[in-house]
Amino acid sequence: MTRYDLTRIPIAKALLVNRWPQFLVRALALIGFLFAIVAGLGGTPVGSRNFSIVFVWIAWWALLILVAVPLLGRGWCTVCPIPMPGEWLQNRALLGPRGKKPPFGLGRKWPRALRNIWVQNGAFALMALFSAVVLTQPGVTAVLLASFLFLAFGASLIFERRAFCRYMCPVGGFIGLYSQTAPIEVRVRDTAVCAGHTTKTCYTGSEDGFGCPWGVFPGGLVKNTYCGACLECLRTCPLDNIAINIRPVGADLSQPRGRKLDEAFKAFIMLGSAFVYSAVMLGPWGQLKTTAYAIGSLPWLLYVLVFLAFVFVFLPGLFYLSTRVGQLLAPAGRSLPRPFTAYAYALVPLGLAAWIAFSLSFVLTNASYILPVLSDPLGWGWDLLGTAGYSWTPFFTQTIPVAQTLVLVVGLAWAGITARRIAQEGNHPAAWRQAIPNNLFCLLVTVGFLWLFVG
Amino acid sequence: MNAQAAVTSITLPRLRHWPWLVLALITLAIVFIPLPIGFGVPGTYDVRISASQYEFNPGTIRVNQGDQVTIELASTDVVHGLYMDSYDLEITADPGQAATLSFIADKSGTFRFRCSVTCGPLHPFMIGKLNVGNNTLLWRGLALAVLATAVGLWRFRQ
Amino acid sequence: MVIRRLMGEWSARLFLILLIAGLFAAILFGRRTAQAVEIHAVMPERGGWLPGNLTAEVNVPLNLRLISDDVLHGFAVGQQPWPAVDLVPGQMTELTLTFDEPGTYTYYCTRWCGLNHWRMRGTIEVKGEENAPSFTGPGSQPPFMTLGLDLDQPHEVEVDLDRPPSADLGEKLDFTIPTRFATREIYFEETPYQFWQDLREDPGTVSLSDIEIWDLVAFVWQSETTLESLEFGQRLYDQNCAACHGENGDGDGVMAMPETGDYEPEVFGESLMPPGDFTDSQKMLGASTALLQGKIMRGGMGTGMPYWGTIFTDEEIDALIDYIWSFQFPFSNGEL
Repeated sequence: MTRYDLTRIPIAKALLVNRWPQFLVRALALIGFLFAIVAGLGGTPVGSRNFSIVFVWIAWWALLILVAVPLLGRGWCTVCPIPMPGEWLQNRALLGPRGKKPPFGLGRKWPRALRNIWVQNGAFALMALFSAVVLTQPGVTAVLLASFLFLAFGASLIFERRAFCRYMCPVGGFIGLYSQTAPIEVRVRDTAVCAGHTTKTCYTGSEDGFGCPWGVFPGGLVKNTYCGACLECLRTCPLDNIAINIRPVGADLSQPRGRKLDEAFKAFIMLGSAFVYSAVMLGPWGQLKTTAYAIGSLPWLLYVLVFLAFVFVFLPGLFYLSTRVGQLLAPAGRSLPRPFTAYAYALVPLGLAAWIAFSLSFVLTNASYILPVLSDPLGWGWDLLGTAGYSWTPFFTQTIPVAQTLVLVVGLAWAGITARRIAQEGNHPAAWRQAIPNNLFCLLVTVGFLWLFVG
Repeated sequence: MNAQAAVTSITLPRLRHWPWLVLALITLAIVFIPLPIGFGVPGTYDVRISASQYEFNPGTIRVNQGDQVTIELASTDVVHGLYMDSYDLEITADPGQAATLSFIADKSGTFRFRCSVTCGPLHPFMIGKLNVGNNTLLWRGLALAVLATAVGLWRFRQ
Repeated sequence: MVIRRLMGEWSARLFLILLIAGLFAAILFGRRTAQAVEIHAVMPERGGWLPGNLTAEVNVPLNLRLISDDVLHGFAVGQQPWPAVDLVPGQMTELTLTFDEPGTYTYYCTRWCGLNHWRMRGTIEVKGEENAPSFTGPGSQPPFMTLGLDLDQPHEVEVDLDRPPSADLGEKLDFTIPTRFATREIYFEETPYQFWQDLREDPGTVSLSDIEIWDLVAFVWQSETTLESLEFGQRLYDQNCAACHGENGDGDGVMAMPETGDYEPEVFGESLMPPGDFTDSQKMLGASTALLQGKIMRGGMGTGMPYWGTIFTDEEIDALIDYIWSFQFPFSNGEL
């Protein structure tokens, strides 16, 4: 496994260690975030002409799902502004540590029972039920963003470190899971060096930086999932033992350690919600859309029921059947422990591909709203860049179905390879047979998506 | 004897890589083999699509490749439009003033059509489908998906 | 080193504060309304024009900032020469109106924005000096009132037509209409059926069949209009009437009956009567031009028919009626 450590390049290391580049991007992101809240609350209720909708659900979402997550893993978390006001208060500083005062706030530990991503799973599923309204009403988006800000701020006052990011943020939930596919990682160079280092300043903090805000011990990192790429450990490690590696894609998926049921269910939530979104929002069935929008009505409650059943019961249930069949196929005593959780990681690249394919459609068809919104972000009649009169033009409609097909097929192939690697952990030439039903499950799901996007 | 040795040393390296070659050939075949684009005889196809918040009715239309398609768009509540993906055609219709779009469906496949006039919050998701002839992209995609699964399974047999 | 850190921290704080202050300053600065009245257009079920009442003064420019908050709307002022302006959702349009005469003006929506689009109207009270000539719409009593017409009374007649009356054939008959019939008042006040009866009773038409006399009626009606008027009337009809009365005038427009769902009186109006069918000869041939004009101006009749008296000019109503007659008497497409 070849890895290339970026920090070996002096200029790269200097840029990453220096707090200013990251701070500038964070500050700008914070301004954009605050502006999105203001725009959503005070600007035009027409989503396509409001900065809030266009820049959160089209521009930022496109950057996130098409670039940041597949290529940079937790790259968005590096510059995300949501936790910053709370964290700045907690740290009593915008940049590096200033003095030896303890962090501001109660500094409580996050409840043991919730030290998993079930809260994030629930938060994402909850948001998904209201997605038709969230994605189209600027006011609702603004309230959502503001509540994230308040939650994160409150969490910083009550709990230690970045409790919101680690345990509450619904976006972080799936970024963490999908960051396992990224070709970049933060790891230590040599665990023996960590063993010999008694103070572990990467976790406890030093005068050069704060202890890992994500509550992770960098020396123990084997996966990207919970490392928020905040770069603090790069600054605190006195032994130059932190590396930022370019690595083969999906390396974390075949890492047998750290596979958990909450993450497996996150994979189902993401896959299932991509499927429902593709049917409801991109399909030709108008009744579904109005039902998804009619929050509180009886049809909507039915929709909620079907959504939750599909995501939490049907998909995992079918998958469970496939693992049971797989166990029957595998040689006696050679099946993996907890195959359901293990094989669910094959759904990570498939889910990512499905989300990319889904996003390609509405991003490319609506990206043209970005230009007029830059000139008139609030719908108040401004024309800052002269593009306020630009009318809607869908881009590349000819290529979208082809791109979606390719992305799905690549995702399916990747899922198959991942399943193979997981199966081979069974350490027997015929252990691979266990993965056959899994691959068929992935094929079925892919066929479903292909029909929704291209059929 | 030297010639024989030379022959053996040439063929061996190729044998190691022939699975990838076969895979590449099958993939190319799936992607590029010409498929029949339609089985129907081109004629004319007229349809009245009524547009309301937020659906087209009918939401799916099926025509033969080469048909002269005429779509009459009748809005029933507010002003709607219809933009045809890939064909890049657009019309707008006020209630009471149906608009007509006439074109030859020379490209086969499935094309989405969308509302092109902001007609409320769910406007970006007001979508319908036009099926022209055979959906060769879907067939190719399905074949590639099956190939991807087969490759994954085949590779297991190490 | 510590000093540098301190300076770094304080410059970071300054930067952040400036950014946030800049953001709010930009928003507050951009909020200036510069003495303009901001009008939001929403679907009538949610309020229509917000605000729906304005005041202005004679000869003082009224600056308007118009914006739609949901669907495509349009803005125009009734009986005024200013062209209608489309209001694209989320796009602000600025307009300045200057009124010459005091009075009550009506502004209305010009793009169909739902079932209650025709209710989407507002008023502008323009104040001027006392005793100044006032614009209050039609200055004198509308004709249907001076004539004492009952707009709500049914007006069916018994006619038996094999084919629509043809103005062309009427012209070809080369019959000279007696001068006492060929007046504008007669055309205006008599129903086609009454006119037909007058012609039928005239000894000069003894040789003509019933349908041929209808052709004559059609020809007379056609002579009272022009091609421009018909085209103008068709445009007005398509934009304002076709949604309810149907593109073919048969009362079966998209707004007439809901495509889906039940016909609920609270949503669709007080009455369950469908819009008038202009192709129905029994009703139309028993209506005079004055009656049609009255119905258009006053609306009502216990149906959802809007009143257009403050919206259309007399010329526009005449053109509309010309076009409506063409549903009964298909006027030739060529020159008249």
